[in-house]
Amino acid sequence: MGEPVILCPADAVPDQQMKAFPVGSDQIAVARVDGELYAFDDTCTHAACSLADGELEGATVICPCHMGQFDLKTGEVLDGPPPDPISVYPVQETDGKLTVELD
Amino acid sequence: MPETYVVAGANLAGGTAAATLRGDGFEGRVVLVGEEPVAPYERPPLSKEFLRGEAPFEKALIRPPDFWDANQIECRFGSRVARIDVGSRQAILDDGEAIRYDKVLVATGLRNRTLGVPGAHLGGVHTLRTVADAEAIRAHAAGATRAVVVGMGFIGAEVAASLRLCGLEVVAVEPLPAPCYRALGPQIGAVVAAIHADHGVKMHLGESVDAFEGGDRVERVVTGSGMRIDCDVVVVGVGASPVTDLLEDEGVHLENGIVVDEHCRTNIDGVYAAGDVANHLHPLVGHHIRVEHWQNAMKQGAAAAKAMLGSTEPYDEVHWFWSDQYDANIQSAGHVSDWANPVIRGDLESRSFVAFYLRDGWIEGAVALNRGRDLRRCIALMKSKAVVDPAKLADPDTDVRSALATV
Ligand SMILES: Cc1cc2nc3c(=O)[nH]c(=O)nc-3n(C[C@H](O)[C@H](O)[C@H](O)COP(=O)(O)OP(=O)(O)OC[C@H]3O[C@@H](n4cnc5c(N)ncnc54)[C@H](O)[C@@H]3O)c2cc1C
Ligand code: FES
Repeated sequence: MGEPVILCPADAVPDQQMKAFPVGSDQIAVARVDGELYAFDDTCTHAACSLADGELEGATVICPCHMGQFDLKTGEVLDGPPPDPISVYPVQETDGKLTVELD
Repeated sequence: MPETYVVAGANLAGGTAAATLRGDGFEGRVVLVGEEPVAPYERPPLSKEFLRGEAPFEKALIRPPDFWDANQIECRFGSRVARIDVGSRQAILDDGEAIRYDKVLVATGLRNRTLGVPGAHLGGVHTLRTVADAEAIRAHAAGATRAVVVGMGFIGAEVAASLRLCGLEVVAVEPLPAPCYRALGPQIGAVVAAIHADHGVKMHLGESVDAFEGGDRVERVVTGSGMRIDCDVVVVGVGASPVTDLLEDEGVHLENGIVVDEHCRTNIDGVYAAGDVANHLHPLVGHHIRVEHWQNAMKQGAAAAKAMLGSTEPYDEVHWFWSDQYDANIQSAGHVSDWANPVIRGDLESRSFVAFYLRDGWIEGAVALNRGRDLRRCIALMKSKAVVDPAKLADPDTDVRSALATV
């Protein structure tokens, strides 16, 4: 069972944007794409750059450092140098806040 | 009879091609022959985290170790293709074995140039291309305090940065007026020089090397102007040449590598080339071009495999590469034919900028420092050759994607 963590007010992540939040020693990023929310590990599995500093193209995040691409629905690597997928988490907007369920 | 496709050269381009052949459903025999005794791996970490001892080699493999067997790719690692006989369609290996092929992809990459000066073969004088080279440098650097880097192209500059980060004193000798001068131009080259100066690299620009001196091991570098620089280890990064010996005298057009068309085909039926070795007719650039970048090796390797399987899509990716030095992430896309008058977004001093190089109003090339998102955004503009508005490009508050000129 996931442990729910409140990340931020819902309006902190406008549509077509993403943002990273510290959770314990990790960084969790949230993206909003065409109204859909996605939460994922912000740290790229290649050389640890912050994915939230990169680019969103639909539900794909593109790492700012070496253009590694991850599918935000599954965490899977779609292109580029990253050796491993990223973790993705369920995220909800409730009571004006974004809440993510970590493993 | 099922067909046999041979891939000569088992690294990024060759390995990706073999994987793509299987991924796209090829059911014949795939033989992947590579001179290095290891499975295909990423070279970028060799001058960066691997050299610094921060990441194990396994992390650099392009596929998990069991991938090749699981995909029935016959691997001959540690084996060299001595010659490709295009008449009888055979790849002849070093040990004399001849493999008959229906199609062959040559992805043999580059061989480092060395300096033809006295002492170039002394112990402790290294070049860097393979994991074995990186291990040798690491071993020598471990007991050393003073390094000299000869040649500040990307590999030299990254090695200088890594050795500094490992605590060595680093002196760099570079004949051109700035580091990474050919690939980044004078303006950005000067920024790279400043970054290295900030990190304590002592750089001698416009300076060449006349000799290495020492007993068994190098002890000193003697420069063209007569400087004598004491050192314990030397890394020479003075460029590399395409490996084409296996095709010598076979009638394959060789010029600055292996000449191929938009589909990675040579002038000889059934012979393809991709990666660092291929001089490719790039539809966007409009002429043949050979580049030595990770992205091209991977994408062109995949494209060559698809062409072998009958695809008629030309390979027309916008070329792109990166270099990491200290915490500077440099990325460059496209092709710059004139380094004068770039449009700058951000500013050079702050070390967060993109320099756009325009030609006839469209973005021909761009170089970014610590600004990957903007670089990513301009690639579609490059591909479409859209005419842009320089004022919008320069304005950090305007999205690069909407920097089109209004007509
Ligand atoms: C230290 C280093 C750092 C780099 N860093 C970056 C970076 O940060 N960013 C970037 O964009 N690019 C970088 N590159 C460039 C990138 O690694 C290359 O573009 C890429 O490896 C080219 O792949 P390739 O498969 O075409 O050739 P190679 O990787 O050169 O592979 C060719 C293989 O073919 C083998 N071979 C040669 N001849 C034969 C033969 N006759 N028979 C069988 N096998 C043969 C060779 O042993 C070799 O393993 C770096 C390169 C180096 C060396
Ligand atoms: S750090 Fe993300 S692709 Fe390299």
